[in-house]
Amino acid sequence: MLADENARDDAPSAAREAAVAVIALVVAGLVGSGWSLGFHLDNAHNGLLGLSFTAVGLYVVRMRPRHREGVLFVAVGILHAVMFFGRQYGSHDVPLPGAEWIGWIGVWPLPLGIALAAWTLMSFPDGRLLSPRWRLVVGAMLTVAFGLSLVSALWPVDYDRTALVAPHPLDLPGAGRAQTLWDGARVFFLLFQVVWTAAILVRMHRTRGDEARQLRWLVYAVVVEITLLAGGLAVVGSPVPGLLALPLVPVAAGIAIFKYRLYDIDPVINKTIVIGAMVLVITAGYVAVVLGVGALVPAGRGLLWLITTAVVAVLSEPLRRRAQRVADRLVYGHRTTPYEALAQLTAGLNGAPEELLAGIATTVANAVGAREVVVWVGDEERLVPATAWPAAVDDPARTLHDLYRPQWQLRPVAHHGTVLGALALRKPSGESLTVAEDRLLSDLVAQTALVIVQQRHAEQLQAAARRIVTAEDAARRRIERDLHDGAQQRLLTLGLELGVLAERATADPALATQVRDARSHLLDATAELRDLARGLHPMVLTEQGLGAALEALADRSPVPVKLSVMLEDRLPREIEATTYFLVSEALTNAARHADARLVTVCVTKVDAGLRVKVADDGRGGATRSVGGGIQGMTDRLAALGAWLQLESPVGGGTRILTVLPCG
Amino acid sequence: MRVIVADDSVLFREGLARILAEVGFEVVGQASDAPSLVELARREAPDVVVTDLRMPPGFADEGIEAATAIRSIAPQVGLMLLSQYVEVHHALRLMNDFDGGVGYLLKDRVSDLGAFAVDVRRVAAGEVVIDPELVTRLVGRRREQDPLAMLSDREREVLGLMAQGLTNTGLAEELFVSPKTVEGYVRNIFMKLDLPPADRDHRRVLAVLRFLRQQ
Repeated sequence: MLADENARDDAPSAAREAAVAVIALVVAGLVGSGWSLGFHLDNAHNGLLGLSFTAVGLYVVRMRPRHREGVLFVAVGILHAVMFFGRQYGSHDVPLPGAEWIGWIGVWPLPLGIALAAWTLMSFPDGRLLSPRWRLVVGAMLTVAFGLSLVSALWPVDYDRTALVAPHPLDLPGAGRAQTLWDGARVFFLLFQVVWTAAILVRMHRTRGDEARQLRWLVYAVVVEITLLAGGLAVVGSPVPGLLALPLVPVAAGIAIFKYRLYDIDPVINKTIVIGAMVLVITAGYVAVVLGVGALVPAGRGLLWLITTAVVAVLSEPLRRRAQRVADRLVYGHRTTPYEALAQLTAGLNGAPEELLAGIATTVANAVGAREVVVWVGDEERLVPATAWPAAVDDPARTLHDLYRPQWQLRPVAHHGTVLGALALRKPSGESLTVAEDRLLSDLVAQTALVIVQQRHAEQLQAAARRIVTAEDAARRRIERDLHDGAQQRLLTLGLELGVLAERATADPALATQVRDARSHLLDATAELRDLARGLHPMVLTEQGLGAALEALADRSPVPVKLSVMLEDRLPREIEATTYFLVSEALTNAARHADARLVTVCVTKVDAGLRVKVADDGRGGATRSVGGGIQGMTDRLAALGAWLQLESPVGGGTRILTVLPCG
Repeated sequence: MRVIVADDSVLFREGLARILAEVGFEVVGQASDAPSLVELARREAPDVVVTDLRMPPGFADEGIEAATAIRSIAPQVGLMLLSQYVEVHHALRLMNDFDGGVGYLLKDRVSDLGAFAVDVRRVAAGEVVIDPELVTRLVGRRREQDPLAMLSDREREVLGLMAQGLTNTGLAEELFVSPKTVEGYVRNIFMKLDLPPADRDHRRVLAVLRFLRQQ
């Protein structure tokens, strides 16, 4: 992925390489020769912007020719380089040849330059605007900027500010009105700033993931720039610090485009906040002590400094810690304390076994402020990711040894010396585990071991229960088959013999009656045997599947049954058998105990498995008494990973519901 | 009357063949599985086939499969299917798939030799025979709103016999009434239950069975 991000889109073509070289040379030439003409503070930023935007833009274009943002950067860079050279040329103390026209070129593109730069910032990081509506905004902005540039090109409206030595080359009438218009239209410059700020804020609000990370680089640079500009103006009374720091913006933007994954911005912001807060508070402290104490106590200047230094020295560490906490919360969000973490975990232990590990991953992430947490389960030779925070991962199986990866903290999870898994976490780059976090992590690893052990036991138990159910079904099927082919067949043949006997005994009425009685007993016996075999495992279920078997069940039910079965395919044997027995049990109960008038049976295939619902309108009050039919069904369902929901208020009918997972 | 007997149990098959011979049938062949039954029927051209419904190789509904195959070769052969269980869906399938001349009985029925011989002959004559137990089960079902409550006791009796496949003539004999009276009963039943009119006997059985099964 990383390699991919930084890969070139394709090998640079000769024509592109030549174009890049020419632009680089021209811009370097313009800015270089401009510098050689002297230093003008109010023009220096144009040179810096020209150089930095062109350099970053060309790099982007060269590495990613299809990246629109690079083209915009180059355009901004060239425009500023041209303006810089023009103004340098026109501001030269000794008038140079053609200074009027060349200086003119350095003045009037300013509105266009501002609009173009705003467009560039609004399109960051991919060179595309957020939506078609923003295209309208940019169009309007460029139109206004073009109009302003036109005014500035025709009349010397902006010459006062730029302090050019060479005069405006044109002398058209209406200069007074143009100046009035221009002074009024300057509000648009402020509007442009508002527009791009708004665009970035909207984008920050909407984007997630990589793009959000890229934006944070840009915003960070812009904020630092504004802070330096404002701070410089307020403290030193000069825009120089701010102007000198201007290249920070394009450089940060370039880093964001290429390296946002390599260099995480968050620790940088974090440290900036800490250092900024410290500087602010310490400065304020010095001022307060020097002014306050100095006014109250007539002490020597040296002594005062000594006191201040001592106070600051004593306070600095707690101050730093507090600032760090504030910065952490601002940058990484809320982190739980160890106590909170363990409390969360304990609360989570009541959940379903499969959710426990997910709970541990979340707890670890919150407790140590990890970017990513993966819980691996298996043995030393083969571990697979069981759960991960914030999103599931699809990594292949690895050995424990392979899991020691750069940037990842790894804790093997062991129980009685056997490796059961591993807890892997990745913190924001540049951050390491504190001692407290380390200790907390050890505790959580111990908990993880217990959870894994418990989970394994649960799985083994479940598998065993499932095997028992399957074995029972198989035994029932086998006995039914044996009865069908054996005892039932023999009795039927016996019936045949008796039939023949009955025919032959017509001459002897007493014997004939005896034979008929014997045959009638035999038929009762075969009927009973038939019911018994049917109860063990109905043939129709094996042959025709659940739908037909449930219909046959409804045919025999003493209580009217409304049957709704939505099934397309055959299901696993144990699922079919369990559903059949569940419905059979419910129908028997409805007839025998509930005195119901109607039973509704609804069997549907849903995503989670087979949903079975049986409801009657009987007298209710059914319970899971030990040894009862409902408890037996609950156990059978539990073995298949399903839970029987029973609702049976006295006088309100009985409803049972379950969803059988059909893996 | 030429008959072929098929069942995978030798004891039962031999017994069946013996009693059928005793009551006047000519047993022209015995089969122990579905494919050999079809082959035998092709060769011997019997009037009727008495076969187990559940046979090798699959022990599912091979009897019905074989019956279908035999019908496609010889459309006039009567088909009597025997089973240890009688299921409504099998009865519906037989009525639906076959154009009369089909029987579906519990194996227990063979112990009443006389009645069984009559049933086999009816099937050979193109009539329908459905096991009384299955019909009793359906007629006796309790229903949420029972349309059978609209019928008189006699009409209910007629309905049950119709479901067993009796023709109007058969009904008249069974109930000791004139064919005209029977026609009256049947017309009333069909009207009260709002059943679709059936031109053929097996269609009538199908309509009645379907009706009894719903609700």
